[in-house]
Amino acid sequence: MKVNVLRRMTPEQEPYWESFLYDGSEDNTVAGLLDYINYNDDILNDKGEKTTRISWECSCIQGICGACAMIVNDVPALACEAFLKDIQGEEISLRPLSKFPVIRDLVVDRSGIYDSLRHNNVCIETYKPPSDGDHEQDYASAKCLKCGLCIECCPKYTDGRTFYGAPFANDCYLVASRNQEKSHEILEIYQEHFKDSCAFDLACMRICPMGIKITACMKKLNSLK
Amino acid sequence: MEALVIGSGIAGMACALRLAKQGIHVVLASPYPSERSQSVMAAGGINAMVSGNEEGDSVESHIQDTLKGGSGLGGEEAVRGMCEHGGEIIRYLESIGTVFSVDGANKPVRRAFGGQSHKRTYYCGSATGKQIVSALAMECRRFEAFGMITRRLRCSFHSALIRDGAAYGALLYDEASARLEACYADFLVMATGGQNALFGKTTGSSLCDGYAAGRLFMQGAVLKNLEFIQYHPTTLETAQKKMLISEAVRGEGGRLFYVENGERVYFMEEKYGKRGNLMTRDVISREIYATGKDVYLDISFLDGQTIDERLPEVRDICIKYRGIDIKKEPIPVSPSVHFFMGGLAVHLNHETSLRNLFAVGECASIYHGANRLGGNSLLSAIYSGFVAADEIAGRAPARKYPDFTAFMEDERRLLKKSSASKSTFPVFYIRDMLSMTMAEHLGIVRDEKGLEEGLTDIGYYLSIAEKIRYDRSVPAYSNFSLKPILCIAGATLASARERRESRGAHFRSDYPETLERYGYATLVSYQDGKFQIRPDQEHAYES
Ligand SMILES: Cc1cc2nc3c(=O)[nH]c(=O)nc-3n(C[C@H](O)[C@H](O)[C@H](O)COP(=O)(O)OP(=O)(O)OC[C@H]3O[C@@H](n4cnc5c(N)ncnc54)[C@H](O)[C@@H]3O)c2cc1C
Ligand code: SF4
Ligand code: SF4
Ligand code: FES
Repeated sequence: MKVNVLRRMTPEQEPYWESFLYDGSEDNTVAGLLDYINYNDDILNDKGEKTTRISWECSCIQGICGACAMIVNDVPALACEAFLKDIQGEEISLRPLSKFPVIRDLVVDRSGIYDSLRHNNVCIETYKPPSDGDHEQDYASAKCLKCGLCIECCPKYTDGRTFYGAPFANDCYLVASRNQEKSHEILEIYQEHFKDSCAFDLACMRICPMGIKITACMKKLNSLK
Repeated sequence: MEALVIGSGIAGMACALRLAKQGIHVVLASPYPSERSQSVMAAGGINAMVSGNEEGDSVESHIQDTLKGGSGLGGEEAVRGMCEHGGEIIRYLESIGTVFSVDGANKPVRRAFGGQSHKRTYYCGSATGKQIVSALAMECRRFEAFGMITRRLRCSFHSALIRDGAAYGALLYDEASARLEACYADFLVMATGGQNALFGKTTGSSLCDGYAAGRLFMQGAVLKNLEFIQYHPTTLETAQKKMLISEAVRGEGGRLFYVENGERVYFMEEKYGKRGNLMTRDVISREIYATGKDVYLDISFLDGQTIDERLPEVRDICIKYRGIDIKKEPIPVSPSVHFFMGGLAVHLNHETSLRNLFAVGECASIYHGANRLGGNSLLSAIYSGFVAADEIAGRAPARKYPDFTAFMEDERRLLKKSSASKSTFPVFYIRDMLSMTMAEHLGIVRDEKGLEEGLTDIGYYLSIAEKIRYDRSVPAYSNFSLKPILCIAGATLASARERRESRGAHFRSDYPETLERYGYATLVSYQDGKFQIRPDQEHAYES
């Protein structure tokens, strides 16, 4: 299998494609494939030239930490959950998420997700849940990995300066569901940084590896006064 | 006053929050955000005695269960403190928004967990750690917003700044600038987790590599009880790791069996009766090992809706990674390294052998003795963070920081020298050999010969580690971490060799009995490249 990787060594460098030949198991995930390619004295590209190891980020290797998010054959995915046997064709392309600054190869800087939440004080403060809580949705929303896959496929998210995307709406929902006294403040922030610009096409929900129903978050937040 | 907390899993965040609440500015440093820490993987739950627990349960019985699980090596006073604060910790977690599983009246519910006399494990579906991390991370953000917690991402602990037996902060390796920088602090708190990666494929995260504890060990900190390593009896093997099949499956009635002559043999129930499947992890791991057969865990008899409600993550892991439908078929399981009872030796206040250097969470050794009960480590991660923070809040800051320029320059020079390499030899060749050594000689059953062989291997790896030049195209951390990782591995093998008895998670086929004269914690320190072992007969550390 031919593996094309969009590479760059430093944030300043122009990205370039480099190809590798993978002759490992079909049962592997993309994470396994990257480990396999990196596991050699000399890393050779498809032309037999020596090159450097491919940088990528991982921790849990089971789809619950969000570290390994990248673009696999044009689809944003968690590398440790993307199985080679599900990939069509003889080639596979790997790119870093494009909505975040690249650090190196497939590693990106997702701190923008946290900055938007911190700057807008999206936190509970006092625990005062409303009596009509939706436990299932609270549980689902709190499972957000901050992986950024949803942001990658969001048509409205550009530089993260004004519109913050689904993880932001998700945490706004959580605050509203844990402290009803903060509903008004949260609603304002949510409107400004999410609702006013969201296209409601739900690409974010379709890609979310945790299956978080962003529509349920929106419904709850839209019902706040 | 300044505190530097290294590691942003549950223990690091709990400590940082408690410090910030008391007006102490905290730098919270880790290579990645909290969402990537191993804490998010904790599945089953957190133990606590809360009023309203089932009849007959009490703080005392939680204490006794914990001490019994620890086979006489858990710190009694420390365990008492932890168990007495269980209720308060659950209420705290609720108050910051942790989404516990609840009953119809919105009250958190409990499940049974192995080795416990009562049902006292609070849980959040099968994602307890993740739910707690989400709540703590949101609460940290509040303190970050008004400047009481400063997060440093993309930076790793390199070494502590130590002078005359006291710590004054740490050297951090900053990934972005590729430089070492000094971060001075009045108090240094380590919350770097366990040392899973010594063993290669385990249930845990690759970020838990034991480096920080290993480096501190080389800088003079005492380590304790390293030989006690918990094997989780039920994990599912995949190409890259051993995935935990939560104890919750057995809590919900799951049954272990193997097949002989076409018949299922429920070996745990046969040997230990009705509650056999809920025996402690070390007992089950050894029994599985002793069968010498392929072992399965069956929950398929439970109705589908209950499985969907209570074990959705287990259901998903099995189908996704192995195509197994747990509603219809049993799960093939085998034991795997899971939790480290040993780590940095700490006193009751969580200070290590070095002044102003604290350790909390899984990297510290105090509560769990020779074995940990499932659900007690999340409790201890939070409790230990609180204890260290309260101790620090009552202390005076350092009057003046000594000058560490020379130390920093030396370390910078070493780093520069290693990055001048043109070699493409990857450090993980040696790390792989190390994990084979560890798996072979520090398995569920150990003996003198194997442990000696393991030590010989480590001696060899250490002798070549500094001679070889490594690939500099990988992050510098993977290269400079090698020697301390080898040292902590060696100290673990040496500790296991010196304990010529069997106790808790440490089983020696050549010394299968528990012996009274070994009823002490093992302390190990590093002197001139040697591992010095001594039993803690004076109880210098809580145990
Ligand atoms: C699969 C699994 C399931 C579990 N289930 C349960 C359960 O149900 N109940 C229970 O009580 N316990 C459970 N545990 C154990 C429990 O999760 C851990 O003991 C606990 O979360 C440890 O928390 P911690 O904060 O000490 O460490 P971690 O969460 O491991 O955090 C360590 C932090 O240190 C950082 N770090 C590491 N090295 C460095 C360095 N050199 N420089 C800077 N930072 C560094 C890491 O990036 C991370 O931020 C489970 C463990 C696993 C693996
Ligand atoms: S909402 Fe889903 S896709 Fe988006 S960051 Fe959270 S887990 Fe990832
Ligand atoms: S619904 Fe569309 S526009 Fe709105 S956050 Fe999701 S992907 Fe972006
Ligand atoms: S490594 Fe954690 S989600 Fe892939």
